[in-house]
Amino acid sequence: MATLSTASSTASSTGGTPSRHVDPTRRAQAVAAWVLALPFVLLFLAFTAGPVLASLGMSFTDFRRADIRSPLSVEFLGLGNYTELVADPVFRKVTLNTLLYLLLGVPLTMAAALAAAVGINRLNRFKGLFRVGFYLPVVTSIVAVSVVWKFLYRHHGGLFNTVLGWVGIGEVNWLDDTTLALPSLVVMAVWRNFGTLMVIFLAGLQTIPREVAEAAEVDGAGGWASFRHITLPMLRPTLLFGAVITGIGYLQFFEEAFVMTRGGPLDSTRSITYFTYDQFRFGNFGYAAAASYLLFLAIVLLTYVQFRWLGERDERPKKPSKKRRAKEATTA
Amino acid sequence: MRSTRIRAAALLAVAGLALTGCGRDSGGEAGDEGQGEAIEDGKASGTIEVWAMGTEGEVLQDFAAAFTEANPDAKVEVTAVPWDAAHDKIANAIAAGETPDVSLIGTTWMGEFAQAGGIEPMPEGLVDEADFFPGAWESTEVGGTSYGVPWYVETRALYYRTDLAEQAGWAQPPATWDELHQFASDLQTKGGVDYGLQLQAGNTGAWQTMMPFAWSAGAELTDAEGAEYTLDSPEMVEGLDYYSSFFADGLSSTDKLDPGELESGMANGTIGSFISGPWHADLVEEAGVSPDQYALAPLPGKDSAPGNSFVGGGDLAVFSDAENKDGAWKFIQWLSEPETQQAFYDEVGDLPAVQAAWDTGELADDPQLQVFGAQLEKASSPPAVPTWEEVASVIDSDIEKVTKGEMSAEDAVKSMQEQAASIGTGL
Repeated sequence: MATLSTASSTASSTGGTPSRHVDPTRRAQAVAAWVLALPFVLLFLAFTAGPVLASLGMSFTDFRRADIRSPLSVEFLGLGNYTELVADPVFRKVTLNTLLYLLLGVPLTMAAALAAAVGINRLNRFKGLFRVGFYLPVVTSIVAVSVVWKFLYRHHGGLFNTVLGWVGIGEVNWLDDTTLALPSLVVMAVWRNFGTLMVIFLAGLQTIPREVAEAAEVDGAGGWASFRHITLPMLRPTLLFGAVITGIGYLQFFEEAFVMTRGGPLDSTRSITYFTYDQFRFGNFGYAAAASYLLFLAIVLLTYVQFRWLGERDERPKKPSKKRRAKEATTA
Repeated sequence: MRSTRIRAAALLAVAGLALTGCGRDSGGEAGDEGQGEAIEDGKASGTIEVWAMGTEGEVLQDFAAAFTEANPDAKVEVTAVPWDAAHDKIANAIAAGETPDVSLIGTTWMGEFAQAGGIEPMPEGLVDEADFFPGAWESTEVGGTSYGVPWYVETRALYYRTDLAEQAGWAQPPATWDELHQFASDLQTKGGVDYGLQLQAGNTGAWQTMMPFAWSAGAELTDAEGAEYTLDSPEMVEGLDYYSSFFADGLSSTDKLDPGELESGMANGTIGSFISGPWHADLVEEAGVSPDQYALAPLPGKDSAPGNSFVGGGDLAVFSDAENKDGAWKFIQWLSEPETQQAFYDEVGDLPAVQAAWDTGELADDPQLQVFGAQLEKASSPPAVPTWEEVASVIDSDIEKVTKGEMSAEDAVKSMQEQAASIGTGL
């Protein structure tokens, strides 16, 4: 409401100056635009911008659950929460876990998705069947998937251990071993998430002009060479997009650990999001807010690095340059 | 546009001043106020809004008919709240000042809500402390002031397979720590089970199984005023050492069990015994253990039975923003009468917090219930302080380090105390 009234008062004050003539229809349009935008603006301010700013403010205070009746009586800590977090051994541990999850998960997911996409792209029959099959885990509930995988990973009588038993390998303690628990979660996450990327990569593969591949073949490039020098470079923007969205998702991993391991054994699967959840549960709202803003910063940083790393050599993919490069590839 | 920007800047500045200007008042409110004024005699009147969780919430409305019969001017309105949403719902209600009159409150939340100023100190002379199990009464006390009345309780006892125990040469359950250890190992060597006594190695709630041993050894979680944690004590080391010996000697698995694994292990003879609360009797029988195959025993003590156990349950409290405080306390008073407590047990099976309710009826005759009844006389509750959940998770994670052999019990209690001290009791 306040924004609207200030905006309209500013508009009328500038409109009132005699030096400038304002077209009445334009003014009517401006009013109409504000009126039409109003519901969104209000909802956005109340339910998105408001809470975001409030939580940012909260992260600089020692806001605890006991303060909910008098939110303004909290102490201002400046960056206190942030420095405390950096020194907190548990936070360090969960940061390490989250990074490991990211570093293991993103390349594996992308590799699996790319392999599936290239494979399906070559198929002439059953394309739809495989596409649906690989995509199916994505649309299932993460909680349901986690519960089922927990049974598969069971120490005594789980499917994986039963199968390993057939080939003479003893029972592996997948989820209750500090070194194996996190990789076990990564494997499940890869299985569940590669479908999305596969669909995206498949679309990317189909934009590669057939002539390019044919030209490479004429020049005597084998399967691997043409994949390495034609497919991969031309997929770069798609790969970048895939890396960014998977990275963002994996940095926030929570449900898998929440359902399967409760963050254990010995905190080896506790993530930053899980840590934040715990702190909220304990009522340390300020500390929890600071932790989530650190995660937010990490996501921004990761995305920036990925853009620099994967996007740079592409010299900002603009349509003409892409065409030119394609032409170069054909003439080469 | 410029004016908007200036206004925004001004607003931020004001907000900044407000934030820095009004600091937290030193010293909490909880415990400083003493008990409330005694309520007036006479019948309750007006509408009494009640929140209750789980089964209690479902049956309380009909159950309260007897109360409204005796108090014709009063009307009881019960809202059932699911347990997992209850904590946040109550916290939000307190923050918004839109509370009911009475609510069932989990014993571990009392400190937090009392500290936030959300619930009222109990009126002087409403009920007699001596009527209740001591451990249950402790759970209502925050900083020396009682903020509610225990409604029902639960405690932990030893469940064991009698047939396998007999096979292992144990006609009677173990009574001391040494016996319990021997019992578990005999169950494995002679009874043929994989794990003689399955205990929780870590994760949420491990302290509820570990602390009874530390309490038996004489440990205390806080000092007498409940103002400071006292986790770093030789008694605590002794309890933790004993607890972890079951893992070190292979008498308990360090794995995190799935729901149902414990009961099915008990049924198919891979687990010989475990420690849990009254709800496990049904679960064990559902898993296929016949009633004559298992029995309950009080927790063994360090040198003699029974040892200390953990007491949990639910308290009843009246909110500071309640509109009908008088009616609310009268309703609570009625729920704490031995006859009402017994009738409520008949209705839902909640163990009464009032000792006199155990003197007659099924509660006095059933052998299983008798075990819990006896155990309740020697059971402790965690301190009712706002930060308990957080400290409990610290204890849980250090217990796990000891049971998995990553840390000695001495180092673990030091680390627990260090972290708990930096968290503080929050009072």
